[in-house]
Amino acid sequence: MQKYEKLEKIGEGTYGTVFKAKNRETHEIVALKRVRLDDDDEGVPSSALREICLLKELKHKNIVRLYDVLHSDKKLTLVFEHCDQDLKKYFDSLNGDIDPDVVKSFMYQLLRGLAFCHSHNVLHRDLKPQNLLINKNGELKLADFGLARAFGIPVKCYSAEVVTLWYRPPDVLFGAKLYTTSIDMWSAGCIFAELANAGRPLFPGSDVDDQLRRIFKLLGTPTEDTWAGISALPDYKPFPLYQPNMSWSQVVPKLGNRGRDLLQRLLLCNPTQRMCSEEAMIHAYFSDLNSAIKNDRC
Amino acid sequence: MAGNFWQSSHHQQWLLDKQDLIRERQHDLNILNEEEYQKIFIFFSSVIQTLGEQLKLRQQVIATATVYFKRFYARNSLKCIDPLLLAPTCLFLASKVEEFGVISNSRLITTCQTVVKNKFSYAYSQEFPYRTNHILECEFYLLENLDCCLIVYQPYRPLLQLIQDMGHEEQLLTLAWRIVNDSLRTDVCLLYPPYQIAIGSLQVACVVLQKDHKAWFAELNVDIEKIQEIARYIINLFELWKQYDEKKEIRELLTKMPKPKPAPQR
Repeated sequence: MQKYEKLEKIGEGTYGTVFKAKNRETHEIVALKRVRLDDDDEGVPSSALREICLLKELKHKNIVRLYDVLHSDKKLTLVFEHCDQDLKKYFDSLNGDIDPDVVKSFMYQLLRGLAFCHSHNVLHRDLKPQNLLINKNGELKLADFGLARAFGIPVKCYSAEVVTLWYRPPDVLFGAKLYTTSIDMWSAGCIFAELANAGRPLFPGSDVDDQLRRIFKLLGTPTEDTWAGISALPDYKPFPLYQPNMSWSQVVPKLGNRGRDLLQRLLLCNPTQRMCSEEAMIHAYFSDLNSAIKNDRC
Repeated sequence: MAGNFWQSSHHQQWLLDKQDLIRERQHDLNILNEEEYQKIFIFFSSVIQTLGEQLKLRQQVIATATVYFKRFYARNSLKCIDPLLLAPTCLFLASKVEEFGVISNSRLITTCQTVVKNKFSYAYSQEFPYRTNHILECEFYLLENLDCCLIVYQPYRPLLQLIQDMGHEEQLLTLAWRIVNDSLRTDVCLLYPPYQIAIGSLQVACVVLQKDHKAWFAELNVDIEKIQEIARYIINLFELWKQYDEKKEIRELLTKMPKPKPAPQR
């Protein structure tokens, strides 16, 4: 711990406090995530272990880097690459206006980070603006993998209640137990709309019912015809058959035709129809993306 | 994290060189000869396996715990931590990493006490001496020594694919699976990638069952020399087992084994 000088508290993570700190030798700024070991029985919390072991394997420009894990008496500190702010704070600083090129760049980077996770069989499961970090160079990085999991080993039942309500897809809201990469694609869609609207969340539901109602009012209520198997989901219950009452140009007025098309392909109630990250990255919306961003592979 | 073994920490950091392994073990091998050293590791693999089965863990978790155990001692002398403490700690950590859920510490300690008393009394006359605080402290130390590389690839999945490709044979799968389990009692998990271990185990299984799949093996695009090395490790283990009575010898070996000082406080 002597190696770092603590500067200020940045926030509270899933399992501990996050500090900004400076490496005393290199003067590099890092983020320190202190892992609380308050539960005497669990030892190192599983969420922290998950984050450590996944980030140890996932090294990519659009995924926050875990530099080091420090062990000192009964404390575990994760040393992360420091980013200036998260997307939520970035939104707060916008005053309702965002450059369409920034929307495109952030969305592309989000998809590229996701594509990398998914190609490594890792689901993030908790995408939201607070978990997307932004640095001065306009780079976006996925962070907070405390709920992520590798899905290589087939496991029948995944724990419920993992995604923040606003970014949760309808299948999960209906209690679907078998998650696939489509869970992250829905969240990416919600974040895309929020980006395009300079930080106004698309579905700010207050509870599960309200969340589903908001989704169905915009997209229309799915039925067995549009989504085979929906009524067999564990927590399924019928909703009024809403017809879409708003056009996409009203929902995301500042997004062009191509952007709206991509958004609609991500925000599909039926998880099997949702576009995957690889496909989304080659969508026409990105054809005029700044090539510096596009070619900036890790 | 399947499918990306080549970019994994397992591949990049934890496939060791035979010569390195010998060098790292030099301290312990001044006290024990190679065969004695191996017998001690066979014993503790059984301890991990038995504890894991008592705790009703999946084989994947048990295998991961065994690899942690072997990785730790690949870099440390037996005197750094009593293997009887490290064994349950590896299971504790592996079950969290493999998302089996947390084993409650009291259950872990109770299981250790029961297992040592009922199954390994031929090795230990005293009761299991460790408590929760020892396990938690040891978990920290283990994590650090593993350099936080916790995702371990196992031969089970490639084995299933190979058997399927061969034209599924239940008998062959059962035996090869057991041989993969046995291979955890050798150094192969530290030296070779899991798919090679799967092929090596399958080959040994074919020999044992006298099944001729030579043509099929010849089609595989693998380094045959490596496969032969793996098979050799496994056959050596079988040979050793034939003329070794653990129940008679293990007490003496454990007495001879380098130990941490001072002994843990009760």
